Amino acid sequence: MNRQNEDLLKPTELDQFGRATAALLRHGSQSLPAGIKDRLYAARLKALSVKKPEKVRIQQQVLAHSSGNWSVGSRSFWDNVGWIAPLVVLVFGLIGIAQWQQDSRINDIAELDVALLTDDVPPDAYADNGFIGFLKNGLLADSDKDSLDSAK
Amino acid sequence: MASPQELSDFLSSVEQRAFKQAVYAVRDDDAALDIVQDAMIKLAEKYGDRPAAELPLVFTRILQNRIHDWFRRQKVRNTWVSLFSSMGKKSDENDDFDPLESLSAPDDSEIHQDGAYKLERSQLLQALESEISKLPARQREAFLMRYWDELSITETALAMSCSEGSVKTHCSRATQALAKALKLKGITL
Repeated sequence: MNRQNEDLLKPTELDQFGRATAALLRHGSQSLPAGIKDRLYAARLKALSVKKPEKVRIQQQVLAHSSGNWSVGSRSFWDNVGWIAPLVVLVFGLIGIAQWQQDSRINDIAELDVALLTDDVPPDAYADNGFIGFLKNGLLADSDKDSLDSAK
Repeated sequence: MASPQELSDFLSSVEQRAFKQAVYAVRDDDAALDIVQDAMIKLAEKYGDRPAAELPLVFTRILQNRIHDWFRRQKVRNTWVSLFSSMGKKSDENDDFDPLESLSAPDDSEIHQDGAYKLERSQLLQALESEISKLPARQREAFLMRYWDELSITETALAMSCSEGSVKTHCSRATQALAKALKLKGITL
């Protein structure tokens, strides 16, 4: 209450006084010394030289707008293909190599089995040391005989 | 997003006003220029990509923060100056060191002693600026933002980080204080 009684201006006059004061200050600020204006100009140039660069927004093509411009969207697609395609080729290549090695091993085993089963000698004979010794001696005797015949 | 031209135009439109506001606060032209330059650089560097419509409020806030930072630095510096001054006095009691010489000049003496400054402004403007400088910091900030920067109460509250009620109170008290001070000098607006 006391404060209100001490107030010089009525609440309705506050804004009016404030605007009048601001107008006077605004007018006064126009007449700054040339040196101050030059330094403010230099400060402004310095500030503009370090301005934050504008962000470049890459627009993604939306499928719903298929009739629109594809240039931006297709470039993005080919960018993705550029690094996905070699990866896919590498994976499929590794799978193919593994498959080919497995088939080759199966074929080798099958050929061996066929050779064993179709041979005159039973497979158990190859596990017998005596038979292996017989083969070695027999082969040596055959080779000696052949050499004598050729000498005659 | 503000273009370089928009940013340049904005800075051009506010630089003189910002300088005067800084001078009212710190009462030193060189310090005020440094503050305005720092505020401009920070605005361009950190907020240069903001829309042009947001720049006034952001810049006002940056400027006020820079002014507050300046006062904080001054406070720290004055603490060290007074500390070393007292140490020097103890070490050499015969020295005729006068502590008053290390104190900053009171209130508006610098402004009034500067002859060039007097010539550039009318008596009314000088009186008004002098009284604005004497206002408490928060009242001065609120008053200048509301009436000179023409910010709304909401924007002023946002820039000052206070409630809208506080802004109204600060503005009212500042306006009443200015009206009284000018009336005592025989000036009416």
